[in-house]
Amino acid sequence: MSHREFFRNVDLTLIAASLGLVAMSLVALYSIAAGADGGGVTKQLIWIGVGLAAMAFMAFTDYTRVRHLTLIIYFVNIAFLLAIVLSGDTALGAQRWIMIGPFRFQPSEFTKLFVIMTMASFLAERKGQTLSWRDVGLVLAYVSPSIALILVQPDLGTALVVCAAVAGMLLAAGADYKQLGVLAFLASAAGWIVIRFHLLKEYQLSRLSVFMDPDRDPLGSGYNLKQSIIAIGSGGIFGRGWLSGTQSRLDFLPPSVRHTDFIFAVIGEELGLIGGVVVLVLFFFLVSRALRVAQLSRNYYGLLMGAGIVSMWIFQVLVNVGMTIGIMPITGIPLPFVSYGGSSMLMNFMAVGMLLSVYARRWR
Amino acid sequence: MDEINESIKGRLRILAFIATAILFILFSRLWMLQGVLAEEYRRQADNNRIREVAIDAPRGLILDREGEPLVKNRLAVVVTLEPERGEDKQLKRRLSRVLKMSVAEIDEQIASTRVDPIKPRVIQRDVDERAVAFIKEHSGDFSGVALKIEAIREYPHKTLASHVVGYLGELSEQEREDSEFARYDLGDMVGKTGVERTYDNLLAGSKGTEFIEVNATAEPLRVIDRKTPHPGNDLVLTIDLRTQAIAEKALADGIERTKKKKYRNASAGAVVVMTPQGEVLALASYPTYDPTVFVGGVSQKDWTALTREGSDYPLNNRAVMSAYPPASTFKVVTAAAGFQNDVKTSGTTVVCTGLWTGMGTKWAKRCWDWSGHGPRNIIGALEVSCDSFFYDIGYRLYKLPGERLQDQSLQMGLGSKTGIDLPSEIEGRVPTAKWKKEWNRNNPENQAWFPGDTVNLAIGQGDILTTPLQIASLYAGIAADGTIYRPHVVKSVVGLDGREIREIEPEITGEFGLTQTELGIIKEGLRRVSATGTAKEAFAGLDFKVSGKTGTAEVFGKDDFALFAAYAPSDAPEYVVVTVIEEGGSGSGTAAPIVREILEAILSDEPAD
Repeated sequence: MSHREFFRNVDLTLIAASLGLVAMSLVALYSIAAGADGGGVTKQLIWIGVGLAAMAFMAFTDYTRVRHLTLIIYFVNIAFLLAIVLSGDTALGAQRWIMIGPFRFQPSEFTKLFVIMTMASFLAERKGQTLSWRDVGLVLAYVSPSIALILVQPDLGTALVVCAAVAGMLLAAGADYKQLGVLAFLASAAGWIVIRFHLLKEYQLSRLSVFMDPDRDPLGSGYNLKQSIIAIGSGGIFGRGWLSGTQSRLDFLPPSVRHTDFIFAVIGEELGLIGGVVVLVLFFFLVSRALRVAQLSRNYYGLLMGAGIVSMWIFQVLVNVGMTIGIMPITGIPLPFVSYGGSSMLMNFMAVGMLLSVYARRWR
Repeated sequence: MDEINESIKGRLRILAFIATAILFILFSRLWMLQGVLAEEYRRQADNNRIREVAIDAPRGLILDREGEPLVKNRLAVVVTLEPERGEDKQLKRRLSRVLKMSVAEIDEQIASTRVDPIKPRVIQRDVDERAVAFIKEHSGDFSGVALKIEAIREYPHKTLASHVVGYLGELSEQEREDSEFARYDLGDMVGKTGVERTYDNLLAGSKGTEFIEVNATAEPLRVIDRKTPHPGNDLVLTIDLRTQAIAEKALADGIERTKKKKYRNASAGAVVVMTPQGEVLALASYPTYDPTVFVGGVSQKDWTALTREGSDYPLNNRAVMSAYPPASTFKVVTAAAGFQNDVKTSGTTVVCTGLWTGMGTKWAKRCWDWSGHGPRNIIGALEVSCDSFFYDIGYRLYKLPGERLQDQSLQMGLGSKTGIDLPSEIEGRVPTAKWKKEWNRNNPENQAWFPGDTVNLAIGQGDILTTPLQIASLYAGIAADGTIYRPHVVKSVVGLDGREIREIEPEITGEFGLTQTELGIIKEGLRRVSATGTAKEAFAGLDFKVSGKTGTAEVFGKDDFALFAAYAPSDAPEYVVVTVIEEGGSGSGTAAPIVREILEAILSDEPAD
């Protein structure tokens, strides 16, 4: 496809929505860093640049050709995860990083995309036919190693995101409701076993349950949650004003999490309901455009990738924003395009790039 | 290429629906928090960041009637420790060396429940300069230790008038329940005794508040707002520094003198000097104490020494907190009751043989002078304190219905508080038939009121108890022609701008109910006491006339208590002076000379107007 043809077929809304979210992120990061060195913003800008480049590269690349790399991607992913388990830097009690030069990579972020790509390829072969029970079993067998390795890190949040993406893709791929029901049952049973046999670390369990009663552990896991809700609530309709949020500026929202998992609380406090709604509306545009891309895809592979990416994003939005406003458990899931973090930024722009590629090649 | 199955596109619509629903749920919750509950969270956010820190208000001064300060303030350094550092043994050892207190004492301060649990603990108040310099120099070794400046009490005249001014102490948890102290925080210094206690609310002023913005680690960032403290008011006492010093010295010297003579147990006493209108010029209680030991919190050692059983209880203000039999000083009440009930008091002459047999020989009672006073009318009886005469009046009063003598005692202010503006005043006791029955409820054979009880009461013996102040108030009433005024030690309250915000005016609390003729008879008797009567030696050679009455109280198991109540000059009384010496022997021998010493000093040296 010629360049001219390509540029006529770029989904600008998709790019605008993701850039809008990035802008909100920079606004919040600037406010947090103001008075400090501002390194957070600079570093994030570099990552955004890298992300945009990756997006462009993915968009130009014909995604159907990427499909031939499925097996390689699959094993590269497993290899990365193994590497992390065997020798990773630990952050907040979890092994999640590997260093590449001055940058810390979080391979589990890319796992999300890799699983989506390989699953899409796998499910596309079913061509929209009703899935057999054998197919469902194969899907489980296919994703289990990745999920298991992520859980071992331990990174419960990413594992859940992967599960959500897989579930969304199964739904889109035509799994019947009985199969989805059985999978839901299996997931609940697994959850029950995990809790029953104390397979989770103490802190994970308390973080998961604290949102139901933030006062139970007000100085531990409940603290972030309480401060986050106070921050957002005190923002009111119009916010406390940019650079004027007392909760985030005076460290009541702990500096360790306010720019990552709890960045939405900073936006809510300083920019109020208006700022929060802007973020939600941008996500609405992002997700609806992504779904449109999936719908217009000329093949099942593109469609399923779109469905997976949408499921991933919307699940992350639900859990991350839900966590900051006290309706979801505390799990370390970043807010796409908004939370500080290079790997996440890069991966999300790559996902946009894939969608752009699918969109531009929607004509057969 | 694959033909996309239409049903799959339906599945995408389900995904779209789920996504929209999720965004809508998030929006609803946001609306709830930011639209509906915003104010509540705004308040919580402010509570998070704004700390209210109290600023102590300087306490008012206490001045004598001429404006000379008895109690001042001075700045002192307080050493405090953050409670979370309380487990650091090394730090505590270092503090113990510098502050010269034991680790156990430091632990006691840390464990104190008197302070808000998250506030720094006061380890020592009024720390000396060397310790302050050392801690400042080695601040690295003393993290969590802070030096704070606070105003503490200073007593330029040392122990002088310590029972009147009182001392301060940390507000206890128990006191906090009291509404009077509701505005204080635990650990604040409040008045415990004396006028520091009675006028605490006027002296204390009101605290200021600093609203400080802090971050999450409670590090102060800036002062947002400040409510300045309002300093307390000054008290001007009726106490005259010079008179007080004279009274205290006369009392102490008198007791020492007595101790060296026959009465080895004499070790305590009280003096009251006041005007007939109730202005207390001096109020002394012996032994006394040094209020300085309470500055910065009294040490356990000092406290034990001041309050242990078997001590002379120097903290007690004996003028208002101890009650003694009034003995013969009570005879003026018996005389008044005689007049009031028309038992022929003025026309009566009793022949004293030393043995009074008015109730029959079986119940004969001795006069103090066993040799007898011969025929005596009321004036002569007061002059020589003849018991026989007053037995006779007492018995006549007994024979009347009711309790005439007790009623007159109560009317003249005995058996109830005088209402002086000092804490812990006691009522004393006027014994009645009802009281006796109740008092002896476990002792049935002693419950009946006998004629002898009233006869004993007539000479101020038996079960009657009065405070030195009550006696002073009684004789002030005589000096003021039968009018009783409320005694007081505070003259006025002065605000910061020097303006009087309260003036304590003379307040009449009772009347004797006697005619001036009757009062004149009593006064004449009292005048003769110092001229030709029981106290003539003590008052010989004065250039002014003194009216008074001796009293020698018999107390079971102890040496006699010596009393003297007087006013002077006799014709135009300016001063009322009462002295009581516990186990001091006779009123004429021990108490009267002390009163003379005081009156001589204040009346002779008085500069002419």
